[in-house]
Amino acid sequence: MGEQRVTSTSTLASTQATKPPWYRDTTIVKWFAQVAALVLVVGALAFLAIVGGDNLEAKDIATDFDFLNINQGFDISEGIDSDPDTGGRALWVGIVNTLRLAVAGMFVATILGVLIGVARLSQNWMVNKAASAYIETLRNIPVIVQIFIYAAVLGGLGRLTADSDFLWGLGYISAKGVSLPRVFVADGFYQWAVFLVIGSVVGFFVHRNRVRLQESTGRITYPNLWALGVLTAFAIVGWFAHPMWGFLSGVFGSIGDAWDSIPQILMQLLLSALVVFSAASWIRRFLDSKRTPAGLAKLTDDDIFRIIFAGVGGVIGLLFLMVLWPGLSSWIVNSGSDFWHFLADKFGDGRSGQPVDAMMPTIEGEGTLLKYGPQGLTMTVGFAAMFLGVTLYTAAFIAEIVRGGILAVPKGQSEAASAIGLNRAQSLRQVILPQAFRVSLPPLGNQYLNLTKNTSLGIAVGYADVVSIGNTLLNQSGKALSVIALWMLFYLACSLSISVVVNWFNVRMKIVER
Amino acid sequence: MSGMITVEEAEEVVALPPEQPSLPPGEWIRKNLFSSIGNGVLTVLFALLLVFAFRGLVNFAFENPERDWDAVRANLRLYMTFAYPLDQYVRVWVSLGIVLSLSGLSAGLWSPDGYVSARRISTWFLGGGAVLLAAALAVQGQLQRDENGEFLIDEDLELIRGSWASGLGSRISWFALAAILIGAGAAIWFGLGDRRRNTFVRTVNLTYAGFGVIVGSLWVVRYGHYNGSPAEGTHYADPDSLVAMSTRLPWTVMWVLLGVSYFVGKAVRGWPLLKPLALTFWGLLPFFVFWVVLRDPDIDWAHVWTTDLPMYLAFAVIGGAVLFTLTNPSLGEIGRALAFVLLLVAVFTFVGGFFGWFSMLQKARLSFVFLAAFALVANNFAGEFAKRRTFVIGWLLTLGVMHYFVTLINSASTLNIRSDSFLGGFMFTIFAAVFGLMFSFPLGVLLALARTSSLPIFRLLATTFIEVVRGIPFITVLFFFSIMLPLFLPEGMEVAEHGAVIVGLVLFSSAYLAENVRGGLQSVRRGQYEAADATGLTTAQRTGLIVLPQALRVSIPPLVGQTISSYKETSLFAIVGIFDFLRIANNVVPNQSSPINFVGHKREGLLFVSLIYWIGSYAMSKYSQKLEKKLGVGSR
Repeated sequence: MGEQRVTSTSTLASTQATKPPWYRDTTIVKWFAQVAALVLVVGALAFLAIVGGDNLEAKDIATDFDFLNINQGFDISEGIDSDPDTGGRALWVGIVNTLRLAVAGMFVATILGVLIGVARLSQNWMVNKAASAYIETLRNIPVIVQIFIYAAVLGGLGRLTADSDFLWGLGYISAKGVSLPRVFVADGFYQWAVFLVIGSVVGFFVHRNRVRLQESTGRITYPNLWALGVLTAFAIVGWFAHPMWGFLSGVFGSIGDAWDSIPQILMQLLLSALVVFSAASWIRRFLDSKRTPAGLAKLTDDDIFRIIFAGVGGVIGLLFLMVLWPGLSSWIVNSGSDFWHFLADKFGDGRSGQPVDAMMPTIEGEGTLLKYGPQGLTMTVGFAAMFLGVTLYTAAFIAEIVRGGILAVPKGQSEAASAIGLNRAQSLRQVILPQAFRVSLPPLGNQYLNLTKNTSLGIAVGYADVVSIGNTLLNQSGKALSVIALWMLFYLACSLSISVVVNWFNVRMKIVER
Repeated sequence: MSGMITVEEAEEVVALPPEQPSLPPGEWIRKNLFSSIGNGVLTVLFALLLVFAFRGLVNFAFENPERDWDAVRANLRLYMTFAYPLDQYVRVWVSLGIVLSLSGLSAGLWSPDGYVSARRISTWFLGGGAVLLAAALAVQGQLQRDENGEFLIDEDLELIRGSWASGLGSRISWFALAAILIGAGAAIWFGLGDRRRNTFVRTVNLTYAGFGVIVGSLWVVRYGHYNGSPAEGTHYADPDSLVAMSTRLPWTVMWVLLGVSYFVGKAVRGWPLLKPLALTFWGLLPFFVFWVVLRDPDIDWAHVWTTDLPMYLAFAVIGGAVLFTLTNPSLGEIGRALAFVLLLVAVFTFVGGFFGWFSMLQKARLSFVFLAAFALVANNFAGEFAKRRTFVIGWLLTLGVMHYFVTLINSASTLNIRSDSFLGGFMFTIFAAVFGLMFSFPLGVLLALARTSSLPIFRLLATTFIEVVRGIPFITVLFFFSIMLPLFLPEGMEVAEHGAVIVGLVLFSSAYLAENVRGGLQSVRRGQYEAADATGLTTAQRTGLIVLPQALRVSIPPLVGQTISSYKETSLFAIVGIFDFLRIANNVVPNQSSPINFVGHKREGLLFVSLIYWIGSYAMSKYSQKLEKKLGVGSR
């Protein structure tokens, strides 16, 4: 070693002077390694695809999406359509079921989680221990085991008989699930919705005015109550006055016709221009960010790669729109016109009934073969088990996050709150929780993601979610790759939307610092 | 108790926090439960809630006439090892014995310095006794039966129960156990008096004693493999027909083994090299237990003598010579060129094999890959003779282990099994979790390094993989691997479904692991990188010696959290049709009609499964909290 050091010191000057040989040049070595890795990954994927394609061909399974257009002829136990006429429709029913479960779960889990998280920090020993018992029990048992337990317990409820009503006949409960009154959108809803929209806008301005008044005079002006009052007033007036919007039907109809007359090529060009423009403006902004007073900074290979990537992305997008899938632009044209014609229909003649209606749940069949009629809003045991499972499980994690968030608020904040005379509940609601919310938002978003992903377990208890219906399609058509690709797309879209929303909130909520 | 030590000794190893003076009971209740009217109401409300929840749970688990805990008790073998052949069942015990001996040995070698105060032990006893007492008191009245033994029901179809006092009779044993626990707790509490705070017991000894009590209880109550007597309609523990089948004797042996190996470990503590050796054994243990002990490969010795051994020797000698040359410090650039050529050869063997240019044993191809990998890192070991010798010995050992396991994997199993794999039940859960962790950890670290690297293509590939995997639910990954993986494999290559889902688990958890490690990597200061560069370390050395040790230390708590998640995720295997723990509880036992009829007994099994999962993940999460405190991660 000693020898080596001596030699390296003595040759230091000469090393600096000469360029290293090409095979020692870091840039070349780095790019060589990267390209090799890329070739390796792409090669491995191509290899798998070739083998997989051969195997699938040997088994006579084509990988296409035809099954979405074919009547698969199976019934779905719950959802917006119990007898879908195509595979695509069946999958859509599953998607709606998944989203229904996810949204309901997020809502309840958040409320429950916040309550438990606050209880976990309570000074009261009993409340504190009850909350921590809940958290420690539920988060350490796999959610699927919990779902199985709820399903087993709920499945043990009584048979469905004429007597299995509860809440004075408002609903039924039995081993077949719960049937509740169904509130649904009736004929006049869209006209009424116009009133609601106007009411919200007016309410927003009233709210802003009241807040300004409160801030300038110090008088308590109840801005929230005022806004709510305005909205309620509009809703009540609208309930009776909504047929006055009937004339909008003609307006929407003509907008739809106008939209219809847009030629497809125009839309195609418009979209292409949009793609090219966004790629170009990205590159321009990127270069701008590199510009220094002394001129354009030296670009690293990384920057060049980014620019190339943006350019290639733009070109691929252009190719995609013009050559590969010209249908996209005609689809946009068609759905635009469909949308306006749909509205025209909703506002048209004979659409002036009650905006919202409700139906009581019923029981059909006779003897021992009773089942719930389609009138009620029926939640099967599968839904209930899934709902309880994912909600209670996620609530335990949310509670821990809320607790962490509250603990992250400096002690001085709560001391200051009590110093200006707020009581514990007030300081919690108006000082601590709003700040804790900021800290807990990113992990909270992660929990929403987890909850959404956990809804995929419906297959275990026969809840007709997107995975369970996809699995049926897979078994019937054998097109495993297509179905799995659709699943992944759906869940990736869900994850992406949740993270976009959470990020948006996160940016909005962040404390503005100096 | 030999483990009792005085406070002076304890203070040498643990710095105790100052004692908090404890409040008198009345004061404590006033302060913590009834500090205000609202608080009092809350206390009463939550107390009622807890009482009802507890009572409901106890009665749901034990008092319901539909409950039959024999469904779990008689099927423990099924739950633990599923369809492992009975005539070779002793292998399961041997595996367990190996694991426990190694645990005992390691405990002796490292002798963890955890202590529990007598006060805490006493509160555990008192608390456990109180809970048991409460559970016994929460009993419902005895169910009324008619003369035929059928349950009586009233006009609302509800079961008729006797008075509460009539139910207490059936809980005599509970009361007895509660009395013993409370008695023991009180004895420690009052017997030691004020010394209870200052008397400590080693956690190791306490754990061992607890294990001993559980094992001892097997001699009183028997669990495990039951057999039915159809004639009498009863079932009984299959006592002594096979040693391996009666659980009390094997467990006692296990207990003794653990103790003996602990003392052996303590005795040889001072010896050199033992700790790294033990760690290596831990690393090889899962493979050894799975491929050798449980699977019992039928090795073709003729093939070993004619092919396997010569091939090993050839690779060992030639490869060793090559590596010895490569570590020569005066070799210079030729070494790198040679390593690169070896890499090309390794790649070529696979490409050639794929296109069928020549035939070659898989083992030879793998050996070339190993050789190339060793050659690539060889220049880090360049130096004097001793250093080079260590490197070559490492090559010989690694190659030997690899050849050994590949030979075993290629040999057929001698077990006579009906299904495609002998793995199932809790054993499979454990293997899946362990293999999942072992393989996903290096993969996760690599992904994290790639994602934080400055090279855009690596970053792009890693980010895409991580984000896609994290965006989809585990169940779709499992479906993909159990349905699609067999389709994507070339002709002649097969993977058992068990293997396929473990691959899925590895890839899935590696994406999450990568994010945890990335958090750690980001916490390493820039100056560390710069200092490493200034010292003249290569990128590989900088990463392996400077950056990763610091990053991993920070990410240990989240890594334990990820381990808990993986452990819980294994329960999803039940959905894709693997007979794991949960599937046995949910699908197998409830459909069992012979030798004993357990049809419909699903809830007992599910409660049992949730208890086992709970114990595992609760223990791990407590451990992670302790670790977090010990590492002081939060406070830096």
